[in-house]
Amino acid sequence: MNGEDLIERILREGERRADEVEVFYARGESVSTEIKKGIIGTAEESEAWSMAIRTVKDGRIGFSSTGDPDRWKECLDAALASGGLATPQQWGGFPKPANLTSTASSSDGDLVVAVEDAAGMVADLLSGAAEHPVEVVGGGANLARSYLMVANTSGVLYGMNRTVAAVSLEAIREQSTGYEFDASSFRADIDARSVGEQAASLAARSLSGRDIATGRYDVVLSPVAAASILGHVLLPALSGRNVKAGRSFLADKLGEQVFDGSLSVYDDPFAPGLGSTTWDAEGIPTRRLVFVEQGVLGRFAYDLKTGYRYGEGSTGSAVRSGGEPPGIGVHNLFVDGPRAKEPGDERAVWIHDVVGAHTANPFSGDFSVEISNPFWMEGGDLVEPIRTAMLSGNVFEMLREIGGLGKDTRRVGRLTIPSIRLNNQQIIGK
Amino acid sequence: MADVRYYDIRCVRGETTLVDIDNGVIESAGTSFFDKAVIRVLGPKGWGILTRDHVDIDSKREVNTLVEAAARLAAVTQDHLDLADAPRGVLPVPPLGEDPRDVDLEEKTRLLAGIEAAARVAGVGNTRARYTEGIDAVRFLDSSENEYSYEAVRSGFSVVAIASRNGVMQMGSERDHITTGFNLRGKQDLGRKAGEVAVSLLDAKLPKGGTKRAVLDPELAGVFTHEAVGHASEGDLVREGASVLGGRIGERIGCEGLVIVDDPTLHEFGFIPVDAEGVAVQRTEIIRDGILSSFLHNRETLAAVGNGIPGHARSEHGAPPIVRMSNTFIENGNAMYDEILSECKDGILLIGSRGGQVDPGRGVFQFNAEYGYLIEGGETTDMVRDVSLSGEILSTLHNIALVGNDRKMSPGYCGKGGQSVPVSDGAPHLLLENATIGGRGE
Repeated sequence: MNGEDLIERILREGERRADEVEVFYARGESVSTEIKKGIIGTAEESEAWSMAIRTVKDGRIGFSSTGDPDRWKECLDAALASGGLATPQQWGGFPKPANLTSTASSSDGDLVVAVEDAAGMVADLLSGAAEHPVEVVGGGANLARSYLMVANTSGVLYGMNRTVAAVSLEAIREQSTGYEFDASSFRADIDARSVGEQAASLAARSLSGRDIATGRYDVVLSPVAAASILGHVLLPALSGRNVKAGRSFLADKLGEQVFDGSLSVYDDPFAPGLGSTTWDAEGIPTRRLVFVEQGVLGRFAYDLKTGYRYGEGSTGSAVRSGGEPPGIGVHNLFVDGPRAKEPGDERAVWIHDVVGAHTANPFSGDFSVEISNPFWMEGGDLVEPIRTAMLSGNVFEMLREIGGLGKDTRRVGRLTIPSIRLNNQQIIGK
Repeated sequence: MADVRYYDIRCVRGETTLVDIDNGVIESAGTSFFDKAVIRVLGPKGWGILTRDHVDIDSKREVNTLVEAAARLAAVTQDHLDLADAPRGVLPVPPLGEDPRDVDLEEKTRLLAGIEAAARVAGVGNTRARYTEGIDAVRFLDSSENEYSYEAVRSGFSVVAIASRNGVMQMGSERDHITTGFNLRGKQDLGRKAGEVAVSLLDAKLPKGGTKRAVLDPELAGVFTHEAVGHASEGDLVREGASVLGGRIGERIGCEGLVIVDDPTLHEFGFIPVDAEGVAVQRTEIIRDGILSSFLHNRETLAAVGNGIPGHARSEHGAPPIVRMSNTFIENGNAMYDEILSECKDGILLIGSRGGQVDPGRGVFQFNAEYGYLIEGGETTDMVRDVSLSGEILSTLHNIALVGNDRKMSPGYCGKGGQSVPVSDGAPHLLLENATIGGRGE
């Protein structure tokens, strides 16, 4: 008994002791092959099982999780005990079953979780990397399939399949490194050979970079660099919990022009992406949420708990990670806008990635990071590598006036984002 | 099982207790359970690895089935690995001052609320505190008949305060984690400090970026040690050719007298009684008198690279062991703090850490301070915020001009290969010449 039967049993047992009960259940399998010394060094296969229980009694929310089906009683007891300590809050109940009419594609019926397939992807990565004179120092391929389920005592019982295919490769030439990656729910989206070639190309072409003097420059952030910097600052600022707690720079700016008039930011759970889903981690039907439209801030994201507490209502934005309670997040976040002019047409410093984006100040938006694989860009081409430098700035100020969005939109984790030109930015040379 | 040169199984069963208090509201307070196992088989070439929830390590049949499955995985590997012999042994786990399991959840929540309330000084608009407790029961056995078990208990908290005024928001944060008992009593001072730092940062300036002299406080100097030296000395990165320190044993890479150590035997937050492959842990001097002398190894990287000390394999529960740091630090020198400031003359003092990152292949690292002060004429003057430092591994250690005598260790978590493990880093105050400071002041 470790699937629907167990869920049913927990709901019935929990219902006797609390007003409401919710169970989130996940099981999955994955295989991965890891590159060592330019060939496959490790093959790994994993199976995971987890169950998280929430109980609500008199507005007190309790939580516990377990990876062991035999400990479900202990887990339910722990959830109830935890609810006994939580501060009571406004609560309007777990969702009732909804007629989910939308569709979201998160599962690839053709994806086989087999180590031979992962090994084949590594062979493709390596053949791509072999096009440049580099050493491969890491990377690998991963194939995963999981089944997720949410159920509650109001009658919700939703289940979904999710698949992931992912590859990465890290190359080096002397002291010049290159890293590339890709991930998708669909195996056919992944061009492992091209990922390997790109990583190797970055390492090979970044060699013998020239110094750059400290000063102000026009820069182009690649989708990877842009996702890295925005992900650590913009995402937390859109969370309703941070907004209501006074931890978001955007808190009191609803209806204001916060970004460049060409920029829109929205969550589209129905678009293909790693977070595609028709219901969120609490069983609320998901919807397309436009946070910023043509630079104007329109809304924030809420889960049930924060929504009830502040009378805002859930936006279907609950997500889960590990054995923690659900929190507010995004499913497939798009940074988008009209492509008027290629961002790299006029001379600029192109930045592939950054080192240390997680050290940005999430409240003020200030950051200063080391840049990776920077090049002088002219007429849209990378013409000359730059040795090393830092980029300093403020995310919220930067986005107020941008110099253009590229046609090179790509998916980086849960973000889908193009390259962004930013004029007159501060670079610190060495 | 002819194709099995070696196997091991490591099971970690335990509980995690979290308490989260946000602006006086108890958001959650509870315990969750896990039971993870990792089975590794070394086949004719490389590793086959299985991870599972809930394995009965005492069942010979279950173990045999898993080993056979892992051996089939190992068959697709191509890179030939060998395991070096390494000393065995398990250190006693430090005695617990007060066992967190003897304190009920209600009292933990009350104590954490006290720390969170202390952070709410005048000018602070938001406070948040989080208690984390982990009880891990670890069991290990391998095909060479090594077997051990131990229990690890970790207890600690973090507290964040946010002050705001006229649309400017600033943060102060403090944390403290230990492996030697319950760690929530008498800690309100740290809450208050977080609040006070947040408020004073409202008036701090943005520093001007550029090359200058920098003084690092013990916490930030610890992160510097971890990012600038620690990662690049990890044997797996060296073996793969992904570290600029590869092939440089015996070379002078730092100033005379400089000693950098990773020591898993210390009863700090990175303590382990034995490593994740059953190898005895020991103090490892990465740099002795400015000369690169040892890499950090597991059995496989010791066999492939040499020039170092094994016992540095660690893993998050449910993940395979990789080479990791534990308690990493610069040994004390003999400079007094005042002497460091006056020798710096004009520069910047950097305090506390918001984290860091390194690209060990390129040899470039970055880390961020919580705040700092300008140094003018050997004295600290204006407070500055949002300041970071970057540098190059091979030149940066030569730029250490003075090493203080006041080493302190700070606990934290380190991420590598998708795994997070508890560590501590530390150093005395350091004076760095030619530091690249990132800041957006004009």
